[in-house]
Amino acid sequence: MLQHDVLIIGAGLAGMRAAYEAKKKNVDVAIISKVHPVRSHSAAAQGGINAALGENDSWENHSFDTVKGSDYLGDQDAVETLCREAPADIIELENMGVAFNRREDGKLAQRPFGGAGFARTCFVSDITGQVILHVMYEQLLKMGVQVYEEWFCLSLIVENGVCCGVVAMDMLTGKLEAIRSKAVIMATGGLGRVYHPTTNGLICTGDGMSLAYRAGSPLMDMEFVQFHPTTLKTSGVLITEGARGEGGYLVNAKGERFMGRYAPQRMELAARDVVSRGEQTEIDEGRGVDECILLDLRHLGKELIMQKLGQIRELALDYADIDALKEPIPVRPGMHYQMGGVKTDAQGKAPLPGLFAAGECACVSVHGANRLGGNSLLETVVFGRRAGAGAADYVNDVPATAVSESAVAEEEKRIKSLFAREDRGETAAKLRLEMGTTMKANVGIFRTRENLAKAVDKIKELKERYKGVHIQHKGRVFNTNLLAAIELGFMLDLAEVISTGALARQESRGAHSRMDFPQRDDNNWLKHTLAFCTADGPRLEYRPVTITRWQPERRTY
Amino acid sequence: MKYAFYPGCVSKGGCPELYTSTTAVAQKLGLELVELKEAACTGAGVLNEKNPELADTLNARTFAMAERLGLPIMTICSTCQGVMTQTNHKLQSDKSYLAKVNSNLAGEGFEYKGGTLIKHLLWILVEDMGLEKLKTLVSRPLKGLKVAPFYGCYILRPSSVLGYDEHPARMTYIEQVVSILGGESVDYTGKTKCCGFPILTINERNSVAMVGDHTIEAKSKGADCMVTPCPLCHLNLDGYQPKASAQKGAKIDLPVLHLPQLIGLAMGFEPKALGLQRHIVSARGVIAKVAT
Amino acid sequence: MQVSFKVRRFDPEAGKPPYYDQYTLDVPDYFTVLDALLQVRDEVDGSLALRCSCRSAICGSCAMHINGHAHLACKSRIQNFASKTGEIVVEPMGNMPVIKDLVVEMKPFWSKVQAVTPWLIPEGPPPQREYVVPNSAMLELAGVMNCIMCGCCVSDCTVLTVDKSFLAPAALAKAYRFVADPRDGVSEERLRELSKRSGIWDCTRCFECVQQCPKNVAPMERILALRAKAMEVGFTNNIGSRHSESIARSVKHSGWLDELRVPIESAGLFNIKALIGYIPVGFRALVKGKVPPIIHRPRPGADSVKRIFEKLEVRK
Repeated sequence: MLQHDVLIIGAGLAGMRAAYEAKKKNVDVAIISKVHPVRSHSAAAQGGINAALGENDSWENHSFDTVKGSDYLGDQDAVETLCREAPADIIELENMGVAFNRREDGKLAQRPFGGAGFARTCFVSDITGQVILHVMYEQLLKMGVQVYEEWFCLSLIVENGVCCGVVAMDMLTGKLEAIRSKAVIMATGGLGRVYHPTTNGLICTGDGMSLAYRAGSPLMDMEFVQFHPTTLKTSGVLITEGARGEGGYLVNAKGERFMGRYAPQRMELAARDVVSRGEQTEIDEGRGVDECILLDLRHLGKELIMQKLGQIRELALDYADIDALKEPIPVRPGMHYQMGGVKTDAQGKAPLPGLFAAGECACVSVHGANRLGGNSLLETVVFGRRAGAGAADYVNDVPATAVSESAVAEEEKRIKSLFAREDRGETAAKLRLEMGTTMKANVGIFRTRENLAKAVDKIKELKERYKGVHIQHKGRVFNTNLLAAIELGFMLDLAEVISTGALARQESRGAHSRMDFPQRDDNNWLKHTLAFCTADGPRLEYRPVTITRWQPERRTY
Repeated sequence: MKYAFYPGCVSKGGCPELYTSTTAVAQKLGLELVELKEAACTGAGVLNEKNPELADTLNARTFAMAERLGLPIMTICSTCQGVMTQTNHKLQSDKSYLAKVNSNLAGEGFEYKGGTLIKHLLWILVEDMGLEKLKTLVSRPLKGLKVAPFYGCYILRPSSVLGYDEHPARMTYIEQVVSILGGESVDYTGKTKCCGFPILTINERNSVAMVGDHTIEAKSKGADCMVTPCPLCHLNLDGYQPKASAQKGAKIDLPVLHLPQLIGLAMGFEPKALGLQRHIVSARGVIAKVAT
Repeated sequence: MQVSFKVRRFDPEAGKPPYYDQYTLDVPDYFTVLDALLQVRDEVDGSLALRCSCRSAICGSCAMHINGHAHLACKSRIQNFASKTGEIVVEPMGNMPVIKDLVVEMKPFWSKVQAVTPWLIPEGPPPQREYVVPNSAMLELAGVMNCIMCGCCVSDCTVLTVDKSFLAPAALAKAYRFVADPRDGVSEERLRELSKRSGIWDCTRCFECVQQCPKNVAPMERILALRAKAMEVGFTNNIGSRHSESIARSVKHSGWLDELRVPIESAGLFNIKALIGYIPVGFRALVKGKVPPIIHRPRPGADSVKRIFEKLEVRK
């Protein structure tokens, strides 16, 4: 049986950063990923990564902005850790080879980002995530970390209440294997595909969140789903916040910079939830342009656009036939990020012993009810590092658990039964689309009891129908037909947790905006939602928020 | 129609038949050629790797000569065409660089203002002269002759610089010419690939393997001959075909014609006047097929 | 619009050779080839295998041959690729073994990337803060780091087709990224390695990689820049470098190429084996009257060319 001390699921930034740290601590570490590491969705993070490096800036300022951005749901001890450790982590990335843009004096340049009081976002033009991801991969090559590339994780192995490995499929052969490990770090990223459309890649199906949830580890704050203010209409492709950070305007059909109505001071650079609601309100009240609003960059000039926003121009040209040098880009809010995830502490440790998590699939919680732009890349490196260290320390203290071979046999049986299903016309693709449009329509930017209840019912129905999904192709080699069906199973769990949590939370906070409860309610709802997996769906519990120095205040931008 | 004629090094060196056939054909086509006798080599892309500014200055000098004559440049070599077009593009899109290059030229009595048009004979035939005109000059149609076009990298790529966005049909000009001449084009994947010439002296095995792959593929698709607008491709595809044949262990024997030679044949020129006897792989089969 | 996709299929488990399937779809104008293939997979034929993720040309998963050349399917709009009859041919990338349908084996690709020691090796311990370097140098690097390792350049590399040992454009562009990095301390060692066989001098300058790169990395330009840097730091004792020097010398002295001297000087004047190898070729050419003038005379205007050389050469 394959065996490691620490096994990391997912090879995006959080996973690779965790591997780098664990390897540095001399434990036997391996990564398993359903795609090659550089294909991970961290590459799509365009705008930058935050750290208080400026002469007049401080980690306390960064923390306050983050706490306020979270609408006071972020745990302030975790936020402080994130912001205090950010500068050193960014410097380390730079020292590894990330080609961050520089100022005149050769030091790191920083651009303004939404919800931030200072220009504290370091960037590599508009390909920041891509460059960091590739540099981190270089470091893995340098250290010789083993990667199970294109291996798909099917389940966690839990023996006597301890997570001690995974059952996975080598996608190129279809063969199942158990991999035993003293610790598992979940770093599988987001779940964007639960919604349709989304900025997320096709691989973002929330596998790790669901695997942990099914194995008994709770998910936290899943009802908080970020809608990014600027996504392209037809494809849902992301246009970086950097476009507004560099000075881009949002205008409505009348040519007004409408953000003045919603965030008189910060305008386009308010927190994302505020900007997305502003845009959606304009569109809903008839001041949109063909269901979109316009992102105007023309006044920034050709040189700035080409140098700092070149990819954005390219994306708009390729996917919307718009030349940002000459005309505004039609954009609209689009599902982008999951603030919640596998509950962990600041060492990445989940309540299930042996399980750790980091990055978007985890919830420490630093983003609370709304994440600030530039904080997600930061979270992956800070808490990826911490989870790697945490897991490495943990495995030194625990003996290896014996793992029975039955885990593989069970998964084999599950796949055989999937293959054996008759064709009743129910396909994973069809159900996935119904799920995605249901979530978009009913668990979107503005929510009501009625819509949320509708979503909960619909997801229940889809879970029922999922039992009849038919797999057309029965081969074992690179069978994406089979994997798509398994991924859909993961996503239905998560859709259920999101909509159930949203229905329960009777207030508006950050990205969770209830038309029927328009105010934030700190008396009753300043608390985290925990969702536990049961046979009848999620069971919700609540936990207090950690407040260190910033008492909740009215939140305006 | 009058052009500043840039013959390139090879038509004055290893492929004299290209020069002869070009001038012969041009006269009949009514192309008046003013040869740029003092122009330097383009650097063939090699000088650029060592010292781009030097290579660009030499080319700007050539452009300035044509500009002074008020004529567009005609090339007869894909490589010359590509290198010159890329340099021209660079100079035209960066005025400060153009100024720098001009300062290098100042002592030589040249200044390039940026207005010279550079066109390969192939493009001139289709775009300036028109194929209808060419058709009227065909006296010996290449009936039944199967011709495999071989474009040469530099006349094709990068396509955005070489004008393919404005003239997408440039991808098919050789085929159009062949068809007007009464012949039949053979389609094969190698036609837009590399002949291997640039690495001939550096890695002969690889270079010759390319010759072998393309000639064998063309032959397998039924080609009687290849035609190329690039004398460097010709040098390799023709001159190294015997070596390719030995390397691949296959008889190839595919004559490789220069573009003006093929046109000249269809216009009724004597094969000898076109230098067709000068090829390493004998063109006798082609001549015989056209004669009947 | 109605489009017919002709897709090359191969299933290693089916025990039959590759074949083509035809799928006709009615799709909106804005669709990409990837959108269409996903529609095929979702609605028509679930067995179709391909890699894909981001849909926005950043993850590098979906490179494949579309109408015979390598492209990212997600960046290829249908309206730009459909033929007059509305057909688009989709095949796996070239120069890589096929695993299933459009999925190719990329292990050789990655092993070449690994071969160029693809990580920064600074001189001495890192500073306490970031390296202080010019922004222009970082922007230059960002241009190369735009590479998403999709494989398009390698798929269509004409040298790789005839020589599997060639490092090929992606790995060489990656190497350039370190050589050009002011923070790297071992550029010279890198250039020494890259000057060896299968490295920078084996590129045939065909521009295929420049043409096919979906991210404007222009790998070949990076290879040429590496050549210049290698010559600059003195790695000139190799055939590629001598070839380059020889051409420069010839143009400098006569204004044009001396086709007889270049191969001889490139091989090296004492490289008897190579020189003997030229004899049959030279003999065949001689018989046909295809030999360039034995005495290479300067062109008119050669003096002017020489002066320009002298002016621009000294700076280095």
